[in-house]
This record gives sequence, C-alpha cells and structure tokens, in this order.
Amino acid sequence: MKRLIVILAALTAILMIPVAVSAQGYDKQPADAVIVPLGVAGTDYAALEPGVRGGTVYVGTISNPKKWNAVTAHETSTTQYTNIMQPGLVNLNPITAGYDPELAKSWEVSDENKVITFKLRQGLKWSDGTPFTADDVVFSFMDLYLNEDVETDTRDVLQLPDGNFPVVEKVDDYTVKVVCSVAFRPILNSMTANILPKHKLEQFVHKLHPEVAADAFNQVWGLDTNPKDLVGMGAFMVESYTPDLNVVMKRNPYYYHYDPKGTQLPYLDKYVVLTVASQDVLLLKYQNGEIDCFAPRPQDIPILKPEEKQKNLTVLVNKEMPGFGTTWVVLNWDTQDTKYRELFRNLKFRQALAHLFDKDTMIRNLFNGLAVPQWSPVSYLSPYYAGREKYAGPVTEKNAVVFPYDLEKAAALLDEIGLKDTNGDGYRDFADGTPVEIELNTNAGNTTREGACLIIADDAKKVNLKVTTAFIDFNVLVNRLMGQEDYKAIYLGLTGGTEPHSGANVYMSTGGLHAWHYSAATGDITEVEKRVDELTNLAAAEFDLDKVFEYYKEYQIILSQDLGFLYTINQAFVYSYYNRIGNAQVASPNATPSGNNGLTMDFIFRKS
Amino acid sequence: MLTFIVRRTLYMLPLLLVVSLISFMLIEIMPGDYLTKMKTNPFVTQQTIAEMAKRYGLDQPPLVRYWYWFKGILTRGDFGTSFETRRPVFYTLFEGGRLMWTFIVSLTTMFVTWAIAIPLGIYSATHKYKLSDHTLTFFGFLGLSFPAFFFALVLLWLLVGVFHVGQHGLGIGGLFDNRFIDAPWSFAKLGNFLWHIWPAWLVIGTIGMAGLLRYMRASLLDTLSLQYIQTARAKGLSERIVIYKHAVRNAINPLVSLLGLSLPNLVSGSLIAATILNLPTVERAFFSSLTAQDDYVIMGALLFFSLFLLIGNLVADILLAWVDPRIRYN
Repeated sequence: MKRLIVILAALTAILMIPVAVSAQGYDKQPADAVIVPLGVAGTDYAALEPGVRGGTVYVGTISNPKKWNAVTAHETSTTQYTNIMQPGLVNLNPITAGYDPELAKSWEVSDENKVITFKLRQGLKWSDGTPFTADDVVFSFMDLYLNEDVETDTRDVLQLPDGNFPVVEKVDDYTVKVVCSVAFRPILNSMTANILPKHKLEQFVHKLHPEVAADAFNQVWGLDTNPKDLVGMGAFMVESYTPDLNVVMKRNPYYYHYDPKGTQLPYLDKYVVLTVASQDVLLLKYQNGEIDCFAPRPQDIPILKPEEKQKNLTVLVNKEMPGFGTTWVVLNWDTQDTKYRELFRNLKFRQALAHLFDKDTMIRNLFNGLAVPQWSPVSYLSPYYAGREKYAGPVTEKNAVVFPYDLEKAAALLDEIGLKDTNGDGYRDFADGTPVEIELNTNAGNTTREGACLIIADDAKKVNLKVTTAFIDFNVLVNRLMGQEDYKAIYLGLTGGTEPHSGANVYMSTGGLHAWHYSAATGDITEVEKRVDELTNLAAAEFDLDKVFEYYKEYQIILSQDLGFLYTINQAFVYSYYNRIGNAQVASPNATPSGNNGLTMDFIFRKS
Repeated sequence: MLTFIVRRTLYMLPLLLVVSLISFMLIEIMPGDYLTKMKTNPFVTQQTIAEMAKRYGLDQPPLVRYWYWFKGILTRGDFGTSFETRRPVFYTLFEGGRLMWTFIVSLTTMFVTWAIAIPLGIYSATHKYKLSDHTLTFFGFLGLSFPAFFFALVLLWLLVGVFHVGQHGLGIGGLFDNRFIDAPWSFAKLGNFLWHIWPAWLVIGTIGMAGLLRYMRASLLDTLSLQYIQTARAKGLSERIVIYKHAVRNAINPLVSLLGLSLPNLVSGSLIAATILNLPTVERAFFSSLTAQDDYVIMGALLFFSLFLLIGNLVADILLAWVDPRIRYN
C-alpha cells in the first residue's frame, strides 16, 4: 500500500506543470485604479502585508452553483461566485464594514438628499477588454434590476418607502445620477448591487430587443454557458465548473485593484472552490491539507485547535465578531386562543420568559463557548449597533437591554400576572384554572436550536411553567411563522446585514415578516410599534450618520425592551487557515469581494 | 420471446404514468414548496414571492400543474424546467457527465462485489459449518449491518487521521485529487482515479456482499444435495470437477436474475455513500433537488429511477429464461 502511494505520488509529481503567470490586461495601471493600502500605517489595512503573485488557493463549499447570473440568483451557493465576478458601485470595506467606493470613484448627495451622483472610475475594462462606462450602470439598474420582466429579488431592496423606484440616469460616460422620489439613505446600501456588462447581455433583454422572449434574460448565463462568455470586472472569473467536484476561478487580467507597490491584484492565479457535500468530509479534507481555508462549525474547533502547531494552521476565534443575523424566540400575539393571546401580549410575561433564558449554558453546551449573548435586532458588526458609543464607535454595551438569567425574578413576574398552580399538578395555571402549556417549535434537525429549546423548557419547569418542545419540518415552521398556521412559540433565526433598514420587513408594523404581531398591519398597533415605524422612516430619510445612529439606538432599545422577539445567542465568527496563506487573518463576515465564508479574495496570497 | 418483450415494454407505459401521478401527489403532500425558504429572508417581500409563484406556476392547483407537465411531455417531449437552474430537468440531473460517472462507479462496484462474493460463497458452501464458513458469514453480515455513511466516514477518517495520506499528496473523496480534476486524461490521472474509487468499491460493495455470498452459498448447497452430484461423485470424478463443472454452473443460475434486478441499484442505490465519498452521481443531484423542492427535477429523477427498475425486472426475466432452458414465458 505504502509503495503504491509513493509510486502514485511520484507519477503525479512528474506530471505537475509549473503554473504560468498570466499576462496583465492593462498596459499600465489605470489612473483611477483602487490602491489597497496593504501594510500602510494609519490605514484600515495597516496590519496586513503586500503579498507575492502566483499560486492557487483551495476552499470548500457544500452545494453547487445554480447559475452564473447575478441578477436572478437567489442563494449564496451562486452569489459566492457572482459577487467575485461582478462588483457594484460601492462595496463594504472588509475591515470596517463601512462603504468604500468600488466602481464609483466618489459620490455626492444633493437636492434634499434625493439625488446621488456617482463619478465612475475611468479607464477600467471588463474582463474581455471592453471599456466600462456609465451605460453599463444604467443598463444594470434600468434594464435588469428594475425591469419587470426580470426575476430578481434585488428589486425589493431598491424600492423606496413611497412605493416608487429610483431612476438611474447617465450624465456623461463616467457620471450617473440616481434620482429618488423621496430621500432614502439605505439606497446607498443597494448600490452594492452587481453591475453587469451591457455589451454582453443587452441582446437578451426583451425591453431593448423585442424580438427575444420576455423571459429570455432569466435563462441567460445558466450553468451550461461557456465560461468564456461570462464577463465581469471582479478579481476572478469562472474558468471551469465540474458539477459536484469544483469551480475554478482564474484571475481577471483587467482587475483594477493594485497594492501599494504597484502589483496588480489579486495575487492568486487561481481560486478553486471544491464542492463537498458533507460538512464532516469538508473538515477531513481540510485536515488532509486539500483545502487551505475553512469555516469550521463550533464542534470542529476542539478537533482543529490541538492540530494548530503540528499542522501549522491558525484557528481564528473572534467573539468580538459574531456573524450577521438574529436568533430569537417569538410568541404569537395573534394566536387563536384568547387566553394565550392576552398572556403573550402582557409585557411582564414576556419579561419573565426572557429572564428564563440561560444564555451562558446555551453558549457553553451548544456552541462550545463560541457564541455571544444577543440583545439587539441590529447585528453586532453594524456601525449602527446600539452597543456602540457612536456611529462606528467601539462596542461598550452601555445601552444594552439585558434580561439576566434569573429564575426568582421570572417566578415573581409570573406570580404577579396571576399565573399560579391552582390544580396542584405542579404547573402554573391561568386565573380561571385552565393549565398553561406553551409549545415551543423549531425546525427538526437543527441540533443547536433543538438544544436551546430544551434548555429553555427545562428552566421554565424550574419556575413551574409548562413549556413543551416540538421539532417540526422547516417548511411547516415557516408557514407558522408567516401566520398561515396557528402556533404559540417559535425558536428561529433571521439573516441580517450592516444596514439596519434591511430589517424593515420584520420590525415595521406593516412588514411581511412582523412575525409576532401581523394584526398590527390592520390597525391593532401598539405605541412601541408606532414609534418603531416612525424611527425607521426618520432613519431612512436622514443622511447624517450620527443622527441615523441616534434614531437606530432608540429603535433598538425600545424593540428589545418590548420583547417582540426575545433574542438568545449568536454564534461567534470562527475561521481556520493554513499559515501558508497570507492575509487570511482578517477573514470576517464582512469580507468583500468575498470568497467562501469570509475570505477577502483581493489580497490573500500563497506564501512561497 | 419477442412478443413477451414487446408486451412487457408496453406495460411499462401505464406503470410509469401511475408512478408519475403518485410521485407528483407525494411531492404535493410535502409541506411548503420551492419558495418557502425564501419567505424567511427579510430582504424579500411577499409581493416578489407571489410574483415568482406565478412565474413558476406554483400558484396553480396540483392537478392543473400535473396536467401541464404531462401535456408538455406528450406534445413537446418536455419534462419540465428546474426552478433552481432554469435548465431542463434532465440537464440538471445529468450535467457534467453525472450519468456516466454513476454507471462507472456502479458497474465497477458491481463487478468487484461479484468477483469477490461468488468465490467466497462457493468456499463457504464447500466448507459448510466450518470455522471459515462462520467467519465469512460473520464478516458478511457485519458489512451488511454497518451503516454505509458511518463506514464511509470512518474510512475517510482512517485515511486522514491515521494514515495521513495528505502528507503523500493524496486526497480523499471525490474522483480525483485537486490537480487532476481539470487535467486531461493520463496514466497518472487514471491511477489517481483508482486511488479515489476503491473506498467506493469497499463501502458500496460491502452492502451487497453479504447477500450475494449467502445466496451463492445456499444455492450451491441445494445443488450439492441433488442426486446427479452424488452420481458424479460415484463415477469417481474429482471433487474439483464435481463442484466447478457440475454444481456451480447450475447453482449460479438463480443469481443471474439477481444481476438484472440489481440494474436499478446502478442508478439509485448509493446516495449516502456518494454523498460522503463526494461522487458526482445522479442520486446526489436528485437529493439536492429534494432538499430544494425543485418539483420537476424530482419528478424527472423518480421517472428515471422507475424506468430502470422496470427495465431491470425485464432483464432479470429475460436472463433467467436465457440461462435456464426449462423456463418459457407465454
């Protein structure tokens, strides 16, 4: 066996061809190139170092891409490639999560904040050598995202509060104007939308070419497309795709990012994403050295940590960096049983329940300690997180609304609202003697959520409150959460982002995911909900970020005190990479242009 | 014989129709649909989801959708489009040579399984109730009762954690090491393929091994107790000739029909092993369509698997008639 391995290894070594460095697309660095100040003191990138060109980095992912079309894509299995291929006008800074100019060089807000004028970078080229102009930007927004024929969920984030959509106009070849009917600051966040090449795609747009079918664009850039026909401006372009095995991305010779030494980025020649159907096998492949960087699960950390020295890898655990999104328990204020409806609408009951959440135990038992308690509807990483002192300031948690784990307090609150054991079965009953029994649902198979539900039910028992758990199919759970089926309590999570307005669909009284209280949309609105609606609108119309922060601070505090969602815990960001990969230490949920799970593809490199 | 084959082939059509109807109804009974997951995305409005439901026809009642789907097959030979990839269902199922790899993996596994199980079955029968017979049976059943996913995972763990194959530049799972996936075929690539395929042979083969071994053993024991074997021995033929020329040839007949019956397993028998061992097979595409509730891809896959089941049965019957002249279908 061993001899066979040696022979095979020798054979393969002979056949390995040295990787040729591909030519650069530009004659000289374009004047408007982005300089990433790697290692330059005083910048966000001071802790990083300029790298060396060449080589390949391997990562792994669970599912195949579904298409190569950034506009019609719905899932990260696709956007993890399209976001690398096609950047937007603005981009998130991978270190600070603030907005950086990307294809735009700068922007200016005018006309009572209703018009944003973007100056585009000049001299940039698409990966096929075609020059990039304002036409591409106008095409992407007006003929793709805002075209009713096109199936895209990006249209939703472009919609203004008055129901209209912005109009994107060309001023000259390198200037575009985004005109809104009302001032709407979150529109800037939507300017991260991928910009697509007009010269390649306009022929498939029914609006511009009536001879093609209305649905034509939705079929374009499917998996059967020759990768040579995919054009973008991003760091890497897809070179080949083998279903269930890998996606190979090749550096774009026309990429416009450079390091301070004048080396064109990205450093890598190739970026290869292996498709590995099982998380366990992904871990084994990482341990086997087949992939260079890996986003482990909490249960993988105790396996990887002892191997750090021996295998020369780093396990990055950053509790200061929980991922985006929220995890919570929601009580159904509109449940059919009026007794429960009244109970769930009683703030004191919700407070009692919040005091029953033993978040420390959840973190220790379910996440191996790799999680943080969560209290706010806004993600920790957002510059608007109310745990910060000011906009993008350091996190001090001075304003945190915390309901500490306190069984006595919970019991006292339950006593106070008249829930007492009247029939002597050991559990509390309503004042009229009917027993209280709350079924807590979550999706079957998600072991951490199931565990959290069991911990909550167990603690409820300690104060004689009967909470049962039922783990059900995810789709049934969603139907319940959407109010299509009755339920009492659900444990679930939602995705989030840096821009708090992305939660409007959840927290505004009219939101389609206002899960605890859908009847608020039809007039049954509380004072808190009214104020949240007001604050959301104020924050959306305000462009002074310090003022926006103040609005969102109040928004977070009152929402958390009101306990529409009872927040639980959030997993900390964990990442692991072999030390042969440079600049991987800044892996984070903010990473852009994002490789798999947090790698910034621009500036990682393979150390020689 | 020919009329038999024609008749059986014609029977398949109504059967497939019933299969498709039942499958469609089962898919409908599954809670939610392709768009349900999107509903919990705060960035997507209900209006967009409703528009998409309309675009995909998911707002129509199931029977209407079934009828459109069925009409598409009859009139255009169109088995539907995947919601996820917006490509025809069979493209989605078979893209990237999945069909070919499915057959290569299955056929080689079957070959290896038979090549090992039949001799072991013969050995087991000729050493009835001896320690070696019991040992073989024990290990056969151990293999049968070992869950494939666990076996596959343990095997990969052994390769990585104990044998440290990575230090020798070897990968685990999949069909090739990273550097070979996109390389043109060469002897080195073939060697690398063999390195990646043997765990599949072992894991998938082990499942079928015990059954086949016991079949062969039982069948041979039956034959060995027949009178003509006694006669052969009485004639003074050597034991080798008695067993291999007279007994095994007859005993193997019933197993030939097993060969036909294992045809459906070729395309649908190794989902779990394929998932853990990361093999690009049709089952994996089927599985991911199930998790996404990509209805028409599920339908396409079920029809495809059913077709193979029916063909497998037919082939089994034909093979049986072919090897055993006593059997005639009328």
